Order: sequence, then C-alpha cells, then structure tokens
Amino acid sequence: MLALQAAPRWFELDVAATPDIIGGWLICLLTLAVYSFLYKDNPFYKLAEHVFVGVATAWYTMEFYDSGVLKAVFVYLSDAFQTLHEPGKHVTEVGGYGMPTALAIAVRFGAVALSVMLLVRLFNRQSWAPRWPLALMIGIYAALKLTAETQARLVSQVKETMVPVVPEGATWMGVVGNVVFLVGLVCVLGHFVFTFKRGKALAGMSRAGIVILMLTFGGMFGFTVLGRIALLIERVSELASYSEPAYSLSSATAGAAHGWLDTALTPPFLIATLIVLVLVLAKLTGRAQPAPPPA
Amino acid sequence: MATPRSFDRRWIFLAMGVVVVGLYAAGIRAPLPNSRYVESFHKTIEDLPAGSIVLLSADFDPASAAELEPMYKAVIHHLFQRNLRIVNVATWPAAPPFTRDAFSRIAPQYHKQYGVDWVELGFLVGDDVALGSIGQSLRSAYPTDTLNHSAYDSFPLLRAVGDSCQGIALLVTISAGFPGVLEWIPQLGSRYGVPIITGTTAVQTPPLFAYYPNQIKGFLGAATGATQYLQMVAENTPELQPTRDENQKRMLVQSWAHMLIIGLIVVGNVIYFTGRRKAQA
Repeated sequence: MLALQAAPRWFELDVAATPDIIGGWLICLLTLAVYSFLYKDNPFYKLAEHVFVGVATAWYTMEFYDSGVLKAVFVYLSDAFQTLHEPGKHVTEVGGYGMPTALAIAVRFGAVALSVMLLVRLFNRQSWAPRWPLALMIGIYAALKLTAETQARLVSQVKETMVPVVPEGATWMGVVGNVVFLVGLVCVLGHFVFTFKRGKALAGMSRAGIVILMLTFGGMFGFTVLGRIALLIERVSELASYSEPAYSLSSATAGAAHGWLDTALTPPFLIATLIVLVLVLAKLTGRAQPAPPPA
Repeated sequence: MATPRSFDRRWIFLAMGVVVVGLYAAGIRAPLPNSRYVESFHKTIEDLPAGSIVLLSADFDPASAAELEPMYKAVIHHLFQRNLRIVNVATWPAAPPFTRDAFSRIAPQYHKQYGVDWVELGFLVGDDVALGSIGQSLRSAYPTDTLNHSAYDSFPLLRAVGDSCQGIALLVTISAGFPGVLEWIPQLGSRYGVPIITGTTAVQTPPLFAYYPNQIKGFLGAATGATQYLQMVAENTPELQPTRDENQKRMLVQSWAHMLIIGLIVVGNVIYFTGRRKAQA
C-alpha cells in the first residue's frame, strides 16, 4: 500500500514522487478490467489485454535494442574508434582480456556479420547462412552450461546427499531427518530403476518413492498457491491505496473531503461500478452472448 | 444437490474475493516467527565488513513485483544501513523501472552518492551467457552505466571490481525465474566462488532447499520470507516499518485464503468420492 507523502498531482513524471492521479485511474481500470475476466470474457478484459501486449512489446523492444544493439554495437564501436585515434593507447578489453583495438573492432564486426547471417532465415529458410551463427551459439551455450552446470547441479548436489546419518553433536530430530532423507532418496531413485524386473523389494521401494514424489509435488503446489494469492492481495492493497480521498474526483475538483461520496468517487469504486453496470446491461440486453460459430 | 461438475466455479472466485478483501479491510496483522533460511540471509549481510561491494541483481518483472519488490527494497535499505556498496544489474528487461524507482527513493535517505556508494548498470541481454560474461568481466559486460552513460572507469566503485568477480563480496539476486538464482549458482557461485543469497517467488522456492546452505547462504521464500526479513530489518529502519506492518497484514489474509482453499479441496473430494460410491452402488 502506498504511503502518501504529499498530495498527488494530476500528472507526474518523477518516479520518486507520490503516484499521480491519472496513473492511479489507469492502474485501477486495468486491474479491475483484468479481474472482470473471472466473470466472463468481455471488452474491458480485451482492452487490458491489448494494452498489456502493446506496452510489453514496446518496452521489451526498447530494452533489447538498448542492450543488444545500441550499447553493444554503436557505443562500443564509437569508443573503440576513438581509442584508435588516441596516441599510445590501443588496447581494448574483450571478455576480460586485453586485445589490440583494431582486432577488437574486427571481432565486433564479425559478431555483427553473424547476426546479419542469422536474419537471412527471414527471407530464405533453406539458406546455409543462418546455420553458422546457430552452430556457434549452440556450441558456446553448450560449453557454458556443461562446465558450470556439471559442477553446480551434479557434483555439488551428489555431494550434498552424502551426509552422515548421525553427525557429531546431532539432535534426535536431526538424525530422524537424515534417516527420512536417506530412505526417501533411495526410494525415489528406486522408482526410476527400469533395468531390472520389479520384484517385491523394488516394487515396494518404488511405491514409497511415488508417495515421496507426491508429497513433493503437493509442497510445490502449496507454494504456487501462496504465490498466486500473494498477487491477488497485492492488487487489493494497491486498489485500497487509490481509494484514499486524495484520489477522489470530488477532492481533485473541489479540494475538500465529503465522507462516503468522496470514497465512492475514488478510482476503484467508480471503475468497479462502471464495469459491473456495463456487464449487467450487456447481460440484460443479450449483447454479451458469444457469436454463434460459423456454419 | 450440486455436483463438482455442475458447480459454477465463479462462486469460488467470489468467496476468495470476499475473504481477501474483507480480511484486508479488517487490517489485522500477523507477525511470523523467523525461519533459519531468512536468519541466514540476514546474517550473511550483517557479517560483511562495511565498504564491501555487493552485486545486486534484479531478476524480476511487474508480474512478480508483488512478491519481490518489497524484499528488493528491504535489501537495499539493509545494505545501505550496513554501509555496503551496491553494484546493481538486471537480467530481466522489465526490471530497470523498479530498480530506478527503488534507488531514487532509498539512496537519498542514507545520503549515498551515485558512483561511490552505488551504481546502476541496467539490463544486459543474453540470459546465461550474460551472467557468464558478468562473472568473467563486469567491465566488458557493461562498458557504461545506464543512468548517465558514463564510462566504467569513471566510477570509483566500479574501479574496485576486477575481472573474475574480484572485489565482489556477495551476490544478492531477487529472482522470479529464468534467468535467476538457478543460473547465477553455476555461473558465479561455482565458477568464481562468490557467496550467494536470494529472494524468490513462491513458485521458485521449493528447489532452493537443495542448495542451502552450501551453494546458497540463505534465502527469502516468497511473501512469507519477505515478511520475516522485513520484521528483522525494520527493527532498525523506521522507514521500513509501514512496509513491515503492511506485509504482516497481508500474511493474515494469506493464511485465511489458504484455509479456504484447503476447505474447498476437502469438500470437493468428499463430494467426488460420495458421488462415485453412489454410482457404484
């Protein structure tokens, strides 16, 4: 929930200032429009959906261009050429290693050429050109993942499982925990052993492994619910923030508080009323019925 | 009698709405006991000597801001309070507006100077490859900052960070998914031995238990972890006390929403098994 440090203005570009009134109305409109989908698909939801897609696309394009093209190519090359003209300083750092600036420029042009080759796929899907940068990307990615992931996710994780069941100075709860961990680990691994015919022992282990896996999935579902409810509560909290008198239409126009009327004229209440009215009206007039599928 | 199949699920949405809005309006707070994961997170920051450099990574977007923004801001408060220096990066394109908002509000409260006490490097495209290049050479990954577009070496703070993460005492990642903490662990933790602590969304929390305490020194799991951490940090930070109170208020709503879901699962199962028994009879 927002803490109002100063009266909001109608329009404010300073991110550190109190959120502006127009922004408050937009936030409430889009939030309630999205939640209106819980009743049924409707024009308010469609509006929010389209605005979201448009804004997200614009923002992502801008950030990717800034990081991947502007800084990585134009700014980099401009700085490198400037360095080239300075007397006695012709070393540029590439990936933590010093390199002659002329060579660094050539390497960067090589990267640009590979990017352009990748785009050839847009015009000719069968062309050989995109295969070279793709092969390079896959190779680099595999190398990067293989070395670090093997250490972090395989070696370290296997090491984590090799704990003493009764460590020095352990409490009885700790020992029970270690036994449960050991039995659980063996049973779950047993569930994925397909090499041998399943006798009674392996089938029993497998059964216990399934129970442990189900408990794990239950825990994960619990965390997922926690996350989704947290999102809902945060939205409710945000809507509550904009139901403060400072955001009311009456306060904004007359500069005075009028009790319940003041609250009723705040963005969440006014917009919720508007959405409900439109949906009820659409229901009564039959306009909300979906169009019949084409014959 | 209504069966699970004929039951209109919009009644469930309505019930959830009533519980959440009603309890939120009641404004009752629910303080939580701190978990050892959160205490370890807090202690890792407390144990750092003043002046140490912390790499703070904002790996989230508006969709996960509800869970992660409070902890992100609390971490900045805590780091500044401990006189630690922050190098802020982002691996999600939609994170920079949150980082700018947070720093522009919090840094002046502690009289912190841009470029000396904190620096904003912004978003870097490339997912895992970007994380690898940050570890290899921060200077090569970010030749300029993102606020002023000034050269790397013009900042005293960045001059203290060498290649292969030299000078970085800790990585704090506030992570919503990919790329996030599970990618930072191999790229910075395993490769360069940088200690890592993290705050994550609820969905990303379960796998983290396997990495604690050797590969991750501590973590804040979802809104619950954020509230516990805020309780600890707000003791010495009056600016965070409203946020802590707000989060404690949300925790009570959260608990009752969970109770409603548990109740619905039980009722749904009872109706299902009763119906199945009747059909078999």
